[in-house]
Amino acid sequence: MRAVSPSEITRADDRELHETLERVWGDRPGLVGWITTTDHKRIALRYIVTTFVFFLLGGLNAGLMRLQLSRPENDFLGPDAYNQVFTVHGMTMMFLFAVPMMLALGLYFVPLMVGARNVAYPRLNAFGYWVFLIGCLLLYTGFLTNTGPDAGWFSYVPLAGPGFSPGKRSDIWAQTVTFTEVSGLIAAVEIIATVFKHRAPGMSLNRMPLFVWAMLVTAFMTIYSMPWVASASLFLASDRLVGTHFFNPAEGGDALLWQHLFWFFGHPEVYIIFIPATGLVSQLVSGFTRRPVYGYPVMVLANIMQGFLAFGLWVHHMFATTVPQLGSSFFTATSAMIAIPAGIQIFCWLATIWHGKPQFRAAFLFVLGFIVVFVTGGLSGVMISSVPFDTQVHDSYFIVAHFHYVLLGALFPFFGAVYYWFPKLTGRMLSERLGYWHFGLFFVGVNVTFFPMHFLGLAGMPRRVYTYIAETGWGNLNLLASAGAVLIVGSVAVLLVNFFRALRRGDRAPDNPWRAETLEWATASPPPSYSFLHIPVVEGRSPLWERSERRPVVTGLSTEVRDTLVTTLVDALPDSRHYDPRPSAAPLYAALALGITFITLIFTPWGLPIGGAVFFLGMVRWAWPTLRSYREQLRYEEGKA
Amino acid sequence: MTAAFDPADRADLDVSGLPTTVFGPRDIMWWGVLGFMTIEGMTLVVAVASYFYLWRQPGTWPPEHTLLPSLGWPTVHVVFLVASNLVMMRVSRVAHRLDLAALRRWMLVATACSIVMVPLRWLDFLALNVRWDTNAYGSIAWLTVGLHGTLLVTNTAEMLVFTTILHLRPTERHFTDAADSAFYWYYMTLVWVPLYVMVYWGPRFL
Amino acid sequence: MTTALLALQWSGRHSALDPFGPQAGRVHSLWQFLWIVAALVLLAVVVTLLLATFRRRGEAPEEAGPRTRSAVATAVAGTVAVLLVFLGVNFATGRAVTLPPDDALLLRITGHQWWWEVTYPARPPGNQVTTANEIHVPVGVPVVAELQSSDVIHSFWPANLVGKRDLIPGETASIWFRADSAGVYRAQCAEFCGHGHAKMALLVIAEPHESFDAWLVRQRDSARTPADSLARRGQEVFLASSCVMCHSVRGTPAGSRIGPDLTHLASRRSLAAGSIPNTRGHLAGWILDPQRIKPGARMPANALSPPDLEALLAYLESLR
Ligand code: HEA
Ligand code: HEA
Ligand code: HEC
Ligand code: CUA
Ligand SMILES: [Cu+2]
Repeated sequence: MRAVSPSEITRADDRELHETLERVWGDRPGLVGWITTTDHKRIALRYIVTTFVFFLLGGLNAGLMRLQLSRPENDFLGPDAYNQVFTVHGMTMMFLFAVPMMLALGLYFVPLMVGARNVAYPRLNAFGYWVFLIGCLLLYTGFLTNTGPDAGWFSYVPLAGPGFSPGKRSDIWAQTVTFTEVSGLIAAVEIIATVFKHRAPGMSLNRMPLFVWAMLVTAFMTIYSMPWVASASLFLASDRLVGTHFFNPAEGGDALLWQHLFWFFGHPEVYIIFIPATGLVSQLVSGFTRRPVYGYPVMVLANIMQGFLAFGLWVHHMFATTVPQLGSSFFTATSAMIAIPAGIQIFCWLATIWHGKPQFRAAFLFVLGFIVVFVTGGLSGVMISSVPFDTQVHDSYFIVAHFHYVLLGALFPFFGAVYYWFPKLTGRMLSERLGYWHFGLFFVGVNVTFFPMHFLGLAGMPRRVYTYIAETGWGNLNLLASAGAVLIVGSVAVLLVNFFRALRRGDRAPDNPWRAETLEWATASPPPSYSFLHIPVVEGRSPLWERSERRPVVTGLSTEVRDTLVTTLVDALPDSRHYDPRPSAAPLYAALALGITFITLIFTPWGLPIGGAVFFLGMVRWAWPTLRSYREQLRYEEGKA
Repeated sequence: MTAAFDPADRADLDVSGLPTTVFGPRDIMWWGVLGFMTIEGMTLVVAVASYFYLWRQPGTWPPEHTLLPSLGWPTVHVVFLVASNLVMMRVSRVAHRLDLAALRRWMLVATACSIVMVPLRWLDFLALNVRWDTNAYGSIAWLTVGLHGTLLVTNTAEMLVFTTILHLRPTERHFTDAADSAFYWYYMTLVWVPLYVMVYWGPRFL
Repeated sequence: MTTALLALQWSGRHSALDPFGPQAGRVHSLWQFLWIVAALVLLAVVVTLLLATFRRRGEAPEEAGPRTRSAVATAVAGTVAVLLVFLGVNFATGRAVTLPPDDALLLRITGHQWWWEVTYPARPPGNQVTTANEIHVPVGVPVVAELQSSDVIHSFWPANLVGKRDLIPGETASIWFRADSAGVYRAQCAEFCGHGHAKMALLVIAEPHESFDAWLVRQRDSARTPADSLARRGQEVFLASSCVMCHSVRGTPAGSRIGPDLTHLASRRSLAAGSIPNTRGHLAGWILDPQRIKPGARMPANALSPPDLEALLAYLESLR
């Protein structure tokens, strides 16, 4: 029996294989290796750490807002500061945390779950991360220099347009969005191609783990939705920079065009956050009930149905505008319809738990919390899809309550995944006891913070107000909400403590601490650079639960170059082999070039030619084969390597 | 040729015999190309959607005191673009034949074609007879032509780099890549024809 | 108690939870329905969750069987049923609240950063009334408000009377409502519109027919030259200083539309779009330094000598 994980090596030839693979797939040591790496695990881990840091910063912004709003007529933050804080909070949480975090989990675990040694386009993947990082830094450089965007995370025109947002704040919004969407689109292409062509033999589509399915649907949604906001921000930037009139009614433009373009992206966006979360829930539920999730086919269909419907809902964000009533009621219907797949998922998880053997680990508690919090938010979602009701609560704190319930609903599975996958990422176990505290504080905190907001909204409190007069009587509920936020901060602080504790003296993690079903648990924790010693042959929907004694694996891949196996789309039959290029710094250069382009574009249209030229050089550097890799590839193609 | 493989078969699976140069959907890169076609395609869809949305706003199309676009050069360009696909078909054919010499020749021709189209695209802009900052109609027209223009320009840059590498450091991989660039070229043509109709004929009928 | 009432005098009610008009009423009962249904659904889910998690389990793991399938199927069917009812109720409410009324009183509201310009069109145009940040409506009479914006998007939201509608530059939206009992209702701007968004409110004052008509007549008059000398000096201060560049007081050379019309300023309950009560002290504070009261407001600070200020205040307070 051949080993799949280095930790189960018994045979001499396997030990030798381990060393050669380390040489081929490993990175050069030190900074060079850090810069040039194209290992999806290292890059995804970078994404994860970066996005988590921005989660903390976004949370810090939230803290500032809650402080300001904790009592009426508070003068801790003035409107100018507050408007930047809430805008940057929203942008951070959506563009720098929630979406990239989910995609990052996909970039790390999808290849492992389908038994691939890397993503389809390793260099492009590295490029994506650098672009993302530039975007993050741009936003916070602006914010810290008092040039943070201040027109809301959906940056409505004309407020964000040339006429009413002088200065560079809105341009920072536009370019941050551009950077993050570029990296998001790249991640999506990586995930699709990896899932389609790099699955281990035997993992036919109908055997893919539900998380992989969720990421696949998410990736497609990303590709069909993000170009809309990318184009919209291009329109906005050119209105501001070169005087086009896309949104200027005086010259035949239209302010509502922006809202249509934004929300045609914006609604799918929230499902790009939610659908991966459902994938996480499925892995967690099966992992901690020791049962495959009930109703696999309907679960897959539910995700696909959500993916489709998500593109037919955008107008429900515009009920208070002048869109015709009749049109609106159509969008009420579609919004209500999307409750059906969500319900199906909830019911199937409940059925799985019912028949399973719940293991009361921290991760599982987060699943329970997810169901309660998300269903609450989903139900308020259905309420506000009603036009007459929404005309009352639209742009009020009721909406703030709704979307925090659903978004933090998606945060529960993420925290669950943190406890579930931390051992795989770091080789260390997190403390369960701290985990319970983290969960308890978070669950209580979320409800104390956001439940009162429903009533604040109904009691007439509009969103995005930096203060309110005492006569409104909103003071007490706001104080309560702020108190809840303290609990949430506490819970996150516990998580941070747990991290540091685990990294310093946590127990070593075995390959598969949870005895879970999917392939990422078939290799060491953390996985070696080459992920799998031998690529396993998949024999069922739960690869590690349905392994025959024989444990067949793939042999015959080159051990001298990065040789990858390409399989057929539906049945994952071995079809061809593909040569992966060596690590390179080219992606970093290209990303810097792109950065220069878009950032100079904030100041002058000449950014286009200048940046274009720089970018061209970057591409040449990227495409040009070094003599070494050239020779290597020739030998590979002659079958000598 | 691996159709014989059966996942249930318990033997280890030796893949050393699999080919390393394949074309079309069998190849990894092809999917990447398709992915980016889809993304660029979506941005063009946004342009078209916005074009018709703005057209539906009150007022005539094009707005009064705005000339209709001229048809001369744009039509020459679109015809040339369509014709150039014959070249790319040849490129694709010789690539599949793994015929390096022929591929080098035809890639040179293709590169020449794509270089010619850059000034042609500039003439397309002038033919709009309106500035981007005159009114929303001008803005969306310039944007549409410009978006597709970026495809043309980046494609030209790629052709240049690729053809040079093809002459200096050719590998079998480049046959697949050449076939893909032909694939991409068909796509560029396919999307431009309707855009051309919309931008240059649209104002005459809408 | 009385203080609370006084507060209401200038700040006004603002809540969807105590309706004073037909539409707000319908939506309020819709809300009660929705929230009961939601509570039941949530309860069902949570109970099932707890049962599924904590129920006794036999040693032998029992597999999901046909009973599981029928249970899930029923739940889905239930979901669909609830949603259908929801759509029905929602549609009914929608119909009821959008029915356009006949013989409605027409008025125009134009949003500015960050205040509301109000006009009551009339024949002959000479009778048209222009005011700011406050509208008066007769109790029990349907009112149609035409909504426009001069700059960015604002949103008109008199929560106790009706849901909100956006004021979008380049478009004219319209909304109708009816106040069924006299009172002061607050309409907070609901669409984020920049620095002053939090302090952009409008008062809807619903009063009996007679007093409304009286108010309308008074608003038609232009300001008459004040009787007492102090106020007359105040008028000179007003006309001599920058005020005239932005404000109009009908019956004087001051005719600019950049800021609110001040012809009947003293008759209003609040200043700076519902930010502060209209008292002498607040008025003085506002004139001397608007930015402290409403950061970002498009009105500069004014350095006035105490006597000038005294006079100016006397004049402004004479504008009833
Ligand atoms: C993770 C993100 C997420 C998710 C999953 C959802 C899910 C839903 N959202 Fe939400 N939404 C947001 C994030 C999200 N939303 C954000 C960020 C905004 C604000 C943007 C901004 O303005 O800043 C927003 C705003 C928003 C609006 C606009 C409100 C306004 O601005 O006036 C509307 C209106 O229809 C809406 C509706 C819905 C609906 C119908 C669902 C449905 O998908 C919910 C379906 C789920 C359930 C219903 C629960 C599970 C089902 C069952 C247990 C079965 C039983 C159920 C029934 C019988 C009903 N959302
Ligand atoms: C995933 C998305 C997400 C998440 C997780 C959150 C989390 C939170 N949000 Fe956010 N929120 C949005 C998305 C999100 N929000 C969006 C899209 C908007 C709309 C913006 C707009 O209108 O444009 C919004 C708006 C918004 C508002 C309305 C602002 C307004 O309209 O005026 C408020 C007000 O209370 C708020 C509060 C909070 C709070 C208290 C949390 C808490 O859960 C945060 C918890 C705290 C932390 C996680 C930080 C922990 C920090 C530490 C432990 C200290 C250590 C830190 C460092 C060392 C750096 N949010
Ligand atoms: C540059 C323009 C400008 C000048 C000069 C100016 N104002 Fe104003 N004024 C405004 C604007 C704009 C508002 C509305 C502010 C808001 O509510 O956001 C306003 C509001 C007011 C209000 C409150 C009106 C209401 O109904 O809420 C008063 C009173 C007022 N101004 C008096 C004065 C006086 C007195 C002067 C001169 C000493 C003056 N203004 C000078 C622009 C101006
Ligand atoms: Cu006007 Cu908000
Ligand atoms: Cu939505």
